[in-house]
Amino acid sequence: MLFRIDPTAPEPLFAQLAGQVRQALARGELTVGSRLPTARDLAMSLDINVHTVLRAYQDLRDEGLVELRRGRGAVVARSGLDDSALHEAVAEVVRVARRLGVTPETTVALLRDAHRTATPGEDPS
Amino acid sequence: MTTSAPSSPGTRVPVPHRAPSTLLGLLLPVVLTALGSAAALSWRSDLPDPVAIHFGPDGPDGFGSLGSNVLINAVMGLVLAVGGWALAFFAGRAALVRRLGVGFGVGITAFLQTLQLSILAVQRGLVDAADTPDAAWTPLLGVAVGLVVGFAVALLVPGDAPAPTNEPVPADAPRVPLADSQRATWVRHVRSRAILVVAAVTLLVLAVLSLVLRSPTVVLPAAVVLTLVVASTASFTVTVDERGIAARSGLGWPRIVVPLNEVQRASAVRVSPWKEFGGWGYRVGRDGRVGIVLRTGDGIEVRRTGGRVVVVTVDDAATGAALLNTLASRRRKR
Repeated sequence: MLFRIDPTAPEPLFAQLAGQVRQALARGELTVGSRLPTARDLAMSLDINVHTVLRAYQDLRDEGLVELRRGRGAVVARSGLDDSALHEAVAEVVRVARRLGVTPETTVALLRDAHRTATPGEDPS
Repeated sequence: MTTSAPSSPGTRVPVPHRAPSTLLGLLLPVVLTALGSAAALSWRSDLPDPVAIHFGPDGPDGFGSLGSNVLINAVMGLVLAVGGWALAFFAGRAALVRRLGVGFGVGITAFLQTLQLSILAVQRGLVDAADTPDAAWTPLLGVAVGLVVGFAVALLVPGDAPAPTNEPVPADAPRVPLADSQRATWVRHVRSRAILVVAAVTLLVLAVLSLVLRSPTVVLPAAVVLTLVVASTASFTVTVDERGIAARSGLGWPRIVVPLNEVQRASAVRVSPWKEFGGWGYRVGRDGRVGIVLRTGDGIEVRRTGGRVVVVTVDDAATGAALLNTLASRRRKR
């Protein structure tokens, strides 16, 4: 998979890395059993500290998305959820936001806010 | 610009190291063949006439005259050696191609001459070739000598000198979006089912063969070699980053590395291993292309300085090729 990080961005590098893996999972680019590169190799490729990669992998492991194997990197343990409904909803949000002239930043902020205030497990449907 | 970039790389760039390739790949096989043949013929007075030239499970079952046999052996070896030399001489832009051609030619002549001399050696002093003692070890000796000599000479073949370029990557080569402040890498694993299937079938044949021949001595080394070959070429990790593109076997060898400053252009292509490379694995293909080809389908083709072309079969090759172009082009702008 393609990893892109930006050392000048405010988001910490480990969070950028973990986020990209989550996105690849959600898009179906990574499936159960897919291997991620070893932390050492990925750190060398991106010229960053190996602990940064390990931190990202540990976060993904704590979420149950990957299993860490000694010296062999990480293996995807749980595939991206069936997220077509989510994609549709996101597309709808983007459509409405565009129509109303709401900026992407504001849209994301609204989503984050809604996410925070929603009761866990609540299913509006 | 002082260096001319040929419009179609791979055709006009001259093949390097032609003198050593000829010395090792053509002259050496001729010398080996001449020495081996001379030694065989010098034994004529000690040898039965006709001599045994083929062996079955119950001893010798094929006979022929010494002279015609030496001649056939010499011609066969030299024809194969000329083929290997021609590959190195005309298509040997990459070190692997030169090593393969030269090593094959020298190795095959060493194998044939060793085989012939060992079969004849056990017949010296005999009156009737039908009394030739068991010679089951002679092919093993031949193969061992051929492999050692072939590999040793292949190592003597000069490698590729670094050949960095500052030519910009063509504008029509695919790219990925990448901000100047971003760093990127692309990693994929690729496995070959074909190699595993071929290996399993071959192991089965070897097992049956050892039962039929009741001689595990021939089969065991073959099984060991096969297992090593499969283990080293059945799975690869392909990485594109600021260093270039690398395809490494799970065992660490074989590997192909193209440094970023030798990348002229990368593209996603469709690869047919059997048609273009004559099989699967780490291979030399038509036009001297070097490839790690594990399956039919998507692959990254890298045009490299010196008219060299490297092919790696891997999923999502389009992204890998585009990132390689992007990184190479960004580096040259600076």
